[in-house]
Amino acid sequence: MAKHFQRTGRKLLGIDRQGWIKGFFGGNATLSIIILFLICFFLITEAVRFFPQHHEKLQLHRKSGQEYVNHIITEMNEYSQLVSLTNQAYFQELNEKYALQRGISNSFEAFLDPLEDDGEDLIEALEDAEDDPEALAQAQADWRAFVSGVVEGANRADIDSFGRLDDASWAALKKAMIDYDPVEEEPPAYVTQAQQELRDGMARFEEAKNEISSAGRELKQLRQKLVKIASKVKDDAAAEESAAERKKALLAGAETMTNEAEKAAQIEQANAIVIRDEFPFAARTEEIAASKDAHKAAVAELKEKLGIAVAKLPTELSSEEASALLDQVRKAHPPFVKWLDESVAKASTWQWDRKLSFFGSAMKFFFGVDWVTNSSWHDFYGLLPLFIGSFEISLIAIMFAVPFSIGAAIYVNRLAGRWEQTLIKPAIELIQAIPSVVLGFFGIVVLGEGLRDLSQIEALSWVPGFPMQERLNVLNAGLLLALMAVPTIFTLCEDALNNVPRAYSEASLALGASKLQTVIKVIVPTAISGILAAVLLGFGRVIGETMVVLLVAGNKIALPDWSAGLGVITQPTHTMTGIIAQEMGEVTKGTLHFRALFLVGLVLFTISLCINVAAQRIIKRLGHA
Amino acid sequence: MNDDSVTLDSADAPVMGIDETIIKIDDLSFSYDLGKTNTLRNISLDIPAGKVTAFIGPSGCGKSTLLRCLNRMNDLVDTAKVTTGKISILDQDINAPDVEAIELRKHVGMVFQKYNPFPKSIYENVAYGLRVQGIKNKGVLDEAVEESLKKSALWSEVKDRLDSSALGLSGGQQQRLCIARTIAVKPQIVLMDEPCSALDPIATARIEELIAELRQEFTIVIVTHNMQQATRVSDRTAFFYLGELIEYADTAKIFGNPSKKQTEDYVSGRFG
Ligand SMILES: Nc1ncnc2c1ncn2[C@@H]1O[C@H](COP(=O)(O)OP(=O)(O)OP(=O)(O)O)[C@@H](O)[C@H]1O
Ligand SMILES: [Mg+2]
Repeated sequence: MAKHFQRTGRKLLGIDRQGWIKGFFGGNATLSIIILFLICFFLITEAVRFFPQHHEKLQLHRKSGQEYVNHIITEMNEYSQLVSLTNQAYFQELNEKYALQRGISNSFEAFLDPLEDDGEDLIEALEDAEDDPEALAQAQADWRAFVSGVVEGANRADIDSFGRLDDASWAALKKAMIDYDPVEEEPPAYVTQAQQELRDGMARFEEAKNEISSAGRELKQLRQKLVKIASKVKDDAAAEESAAERKKALLAGAETMTNEAEKAAQIEQANAIVIRDEFPFAARTEEIAASKDAHKAAVAELKEKLGIAVAKLPTELSSEEASALLDQVRKAHPPFVKWLDESVAKASTWQWDRKLSFFGSAMKFFFGVDWVTNSSWHDFYGLLPLFIGSFEISLIAIMFAVPFSIGAAIYVNRLAGRWEQTLIKPAIELIQAIPSVVLGFFGIVVLGEGLRDLSQIEALSWVPGFPMQERLNVLNAGLLLALMAVPTIFTLCEDALNNVPRAYSEASLALGASKLQTVIKVIVPTAISGILAAVLLGFGRVIGETMVVLLVAGNKIALPDWSAGLGVITQPTHTMTGIIAQEMGEVTKGTLHFRALFLVGLVLFTISLCINVAAQRIIKRLGHA
Repeated sequence: MNDDSVTLDSADAPVMGIDETIIKIDDLSFSYDLGKTNTLRNISLDIPAGKVTAFIGPSGCGKSTLLRCLNRMNDLVDTAKVTTGKISILDQDINAPDVEAIELRKHVGMVFQKYNPFPKSIYENVAYGLRVQGIKNKGVLDEAVEESLKKSALWSEVKDRLDSSALGLSGGQQQRLCIARTIAVKPQIVLMDEPCSALDPIATARIEELIAELRQEFTIVIVTHNMQQATRVSDRTAFFYLGELIEYADTAKIFGNPSKKQTEDYVSGRFG
């Protein structure tokens, strides 16, 4: 009897063709899940190990007194900003009000070079001829002839390189140069007079400026002294921590040596390492602890002197820019003084043995405002500026991308004619094909320059943040990322709109609604869940983007200066993705820095995960309503 | 619209006495592919005001197409084109260049085969047509919603849940809601394309009752596949076959004593 319903085909290793095909696809799926799992596992284990290591670092930071000294450092940093603003104002004023005098003085000095270099022999002759009136007269005549030759032959642009002189004073200076006495090195009266005018005019400002600069002298000295102590304590403590290990390594090394003398030397070296149970932090930081009063005194002096000096700052300036800078100084002064008091009060609570909570040190990562690595002082790992940078850029990107892509999706899906559809859709999707590094390049060269030029137009100065100081900034990066988000949002939006049943739009049109009304009142509300999800996924897309932000965001790790209001968007920033890309290549495996970068990666991963889950939820929840 | 353009505003629209022709179709040919092939061929048909007119015919003969010509829903198809003839509604050529499809549709409402309320509340569904006309006054809207729901025999069932989603209603209720939504804008003509084909017999019966009610106020054109339904609800019946109008007469005549063989074959169920 013939057999029925039998499987046909050959078997390989006891598995038939269907089985192999099934195994192939199943195997692929399993493999990708395993790889995903491994990635997560690796990421999480490396990242989580950051916390204890960081905690230990921070403990050392406290015990070594660095924490205390750090307050002084920050105080000095803030103070030097005031100093630098004042200096800027000073030179601005100087350049604008006394341009002519500066021009005379500088041009005079510029003349000296050729005179002294090429006229060396003549000057010597002058010196030699001092006692011989006849020779002197001759030498002087020679010198004069030489000088007028040089002066006449000089290129005006080389001498008065900033173009500060007008024709009359240029001529006057050239004439006056004849009077220059090369032996006494006495400038001609014309020059000394100009210098005097300048000095007199700026005297008050200069005094105030110098007083501001010197107000922090005590604090500066204290800082220098304490930094040295604390650094030493920290280094010693760190060295001692590894002492046991080093000793062991040396001894082990000695075991393998054959040369007896070398072996003995090494053993001796090993035995010289003393291992103590406790590093004597208390004793070593005594001096720091004892400096609290000196610190208070130094700050008090700074406050007092600064107060006097700021009051002395001139109010009537001829340079607008300088007065704006001085206004900044005057505005920043009271809050700075207040902040100083707080800082001193905070510093005074420092004790080397005060307990540091694990939670507290973890928070120092999430809310720390500094990210400083490879520092000889202390490394700070604060996520906040990077986090804010990433968010700022992504928000701007989304703000620009959303109207564009939703608008385009609605247009293409509902309003455009057929040939427009066949043109616009692939065009937008093609944006995705641009490599992000090319986009970054475009951002630096074209968009950055373009935006800056645009921002310098007078008529646009009302725009917050214009004119822009930096070419690479949040706005620039945000705009480029918007471009990258557009295809994602557009495509997903278009899908969402496509999923709106035709019957809805037909019903709406049949009721006498226009196409636009139909879109706004029926189609968009129906597709809203899909649109929201599209926006969220677009956000996820941009927050994970690396290359563009690395190239275009400016890579300055700092909290945004909120005082600029909306202008913060024209400040440079750094991002979570950017920092990983920038620093991962050069860090040693297993170090705190390495793990900090992993932790940043984990934070990013978590954000992306949340965004994706949220998007899926929205689609599910609203989709069923 | 500019001043000398012709609008179909109810104020200046002529009031039609019963049996006067409200829709006049004259030698209409219609194509979905810019005239290459005609889906409708040389159709002439006068539809009286205040009556129910049924379109019957085998599937694909062009009933829906003709119906959608009457409120220019076919404008949505890029390649659709009226190749010959014209349609006049209330004595106005509706394909004239100065006629706005949007204005036309306010006078010629449509109920679809598959009930399709918007995913909004019951109230908003009924108020939709008025809202797109720019009416914002709550009192006016409330009144219109109540009146339309009452006319569609739905008021008592939904008056306590006007704010809940329309999608929570039963199929029959949803279709009645669609009718309410259509009549809320007070059209003169209501087109219905197989309004009961997705409903069970009980729901169907209710819609038929409703049509009987509405005929007093609206001119109704209904497409149906159901012969009994045509006899029950309509006054006049048009039978189409392969894009042509075969016979058009009083319903009683079409079903009792048709003058064409094809009509007789179709109504007696011999084909279709
Ligand atoms: N949008 C369209 N584009 C092109 N051809 C169409 C379109 N709609 C309908 N047709 C064609 O026009 C012809 C008539 O279709 P129509 O829908 O008017 O028939 P019908 O009589 O309503 O049929 P049924 O009883 O099945 O609803 C059919 O051949 C159909 O394929
Ligand atoms: Mg049909």
